[in-house]
Amino acid sequence: MNLYLKLLSGSLRSRMQYKMNFLVSSLSYGLIMAVDFVLLAAILQRFDDVKGWNLYEVGLLYGISSVAITLYRVFCVEVHNFERYMVEGEFDSLLIRPVSPLSLLLTKNIDLSRIGGTIQGILILVISIIGLKLNNVELFLLLIYLPVTIVSGVLICFSLGLITATIAFWTQRIKDFQTFTLYAPFNAANYPMNIYPGWLKIIFFTVIPVGFMNYTPILFLLNKGGDLWNLALPPVVGIIFLCISLCFWKFGIRHYHSTGS
Amino acid sequence: MIQAQRLNKHFKIYETKKGFIGSFTSLLSSKHHIVKAVDDISFSVEEGEFVGYIGPNGAGKSTTIKMLSGILHPTSGEIKVGGLSPQKKRKEVAKKIGIVFGQRTQLWWDLPLRDSFDILKEMYKVPDEKYRQFLRLYDDMLQIGKFMDTPVRKLSLGQRMRGDLAAAMIHNPDILFLDEPTIGLDVNAKTSIRAFLKELNQNEKKTILLTTHDMDDIELLCSRVIVINHGKIVLDGTLEDLRKNIGLPSVMEVQYRVKPNTTEIQLEGIERMTWEYEKLVIDYDRSLLSSPLLLQNVTQWGEPVDIQMKEPDIEQVIQKIY
Repeated sequence: MNLYLKLLSGSLRSRMQYKMNFLVSSLSYGLIMAVDFVLLAAILQRFDDVKGWNLYEVGLLYGISSVAITLYRVFCVEVHNFERYMVEGEFDSLLIRPVSPLSLLLTKNIDLSRIGGTIQGILILVISIIGLKLNNVELFLLLIYLPVTIVSGVLICFSLGLITATIAFWTQRIKDFQTFTLYAPFNAANYPMNIYPGWLKIIFFTVIPVGFMNYTPILFLLNKGGDLWNLALPPVVGIIFLCISLCFWKFGIRHYHSTGS
Repeated sequence: MIQAQRLNKHFKIYETKKGFIGSFTSLLSSKHHIVKAVDDISFSVEEGEFVGYIGPNGAGKSTTIKMLSGILHPTSGEIKVGGLSPQKKRKEVAKKIGIVFGQRTQLWWDLPLRDSFDILKEMYKVPDEKYRQFLRLYDDMLQIGKFMDTPVRKLSLGQRMRGDLAAAMIHNPDILFLDEPTIGLDVNAKTSIRAFLKELNQNEKKTILLTTHDMDDIELLCSRVIVINHGKIVLDGTLEDLRKNIGLPSVMEVQYRVKPNTTEIQLEGIERMTWEYEKLVIDYDRSLLSSPLLLQNVTQWGEPVDIQMKEPDIEQVIQKIY
């Protein structure tokens, strides 16, 4: 724990060495997020019903999905940018320490400039929950369960990110893969799963299980179907998927090639 | 301390194509050739030895060091470092070894040197008292105190290398792997680093494996030399064994005012003479022909305007071992 704090404060102080860059990038991310939000609101104003889901119900899905992926982008920035470690051979320096390379990666850096996205997601959640006008029992259940679904979402996102990063042990480059394994699925999870064709639904409930993160539990919490199992599934899927990704990661390290010097 | 038995590392080199589809197909395609970076080598290093591990670029030096330190997994073969397998017990082995890569710093680039040390102290769980001793001792030996509070990116190459060496010693490991620690340094910096390494080896009884392109490093520091070429060990012996094979290779460059006629020159010890316009490059063996004697001869052949002594390329030296 002490080490974690030392490493984190180190990386933050490194960042602060370039104050202007930090300020500008935080500001620009905030601006992008604001524009994004206005666009979404405009779209949802026009289509007030998406296959039986109203504006606020979709907002709930959107909020959970975007909070999950932005938290991943803030805290797992080095896993997300793992390509660099392969291309520049920097992974060597993680393997010579008596600490697991994954914990070194996670502590190496946090990307505070992405926190704007998390705040935006939470804002959408708050607006949606107020707009839904739930009764006390429903509201209580939803508020209790929200952290669980967000944590499950971060787990699923982290696992997908780690699996994609592991692919870099063979391909070196992963930026192209990330579009398919992270960006597109999490954009898709902003909306209810029943709008997608069958083959896509199968993908989102198996190999890229983003459907479990928000659609499954919200379905039950908003009385749209399913039973109590819908609430148990997200954390279970999250944990199973995490284990799979960790195993794959360990397997990948054995195949690390390093670069010549 | 270090044992390598029948060590092999083969790389499959795939043809890589551009883009998403390209990288995907190259992942699945079977179009590849195998490069034997390390080809069936065995050696063992005893406690307190100072071993120079030399060879041309791409000979397999770095690959060997990366396998010994647990970064790479060998294709086949056994490694024991301090009695443990670096592949199976990577973290325990990491506590016993210190590593310096001359080409790449292990320090936190944007932080003062002191902060890097603090983080490493925490990482290796060094007790406070030991850490204070360490700082005192290494300020004595490497004079790092003067630039402890400077961000690493602002240090000179020589200062950074001293910082890197100290950082590798923070947990007081018994074994040191040094991959080209003197690369790019000026004469002064090289001298101070060599003095430090000598002291580590002789007073602290550290076992050191050093790769280098600098023949002086080998001659001044190493009690034993392992030469590797194309992934195979071509020589493993003392400095004297190396001398018997290659002599004392040296290079002299002489710039003449007018190119003299030297076709008749025959001197024992001269291995090669090449002309570049008015400049004569002489490769000679110092064990057969002393430099003052050669100098005398050189001035008799014509009128020199400039004479320079050069270090021979390690590549050229290794060619002679066959």
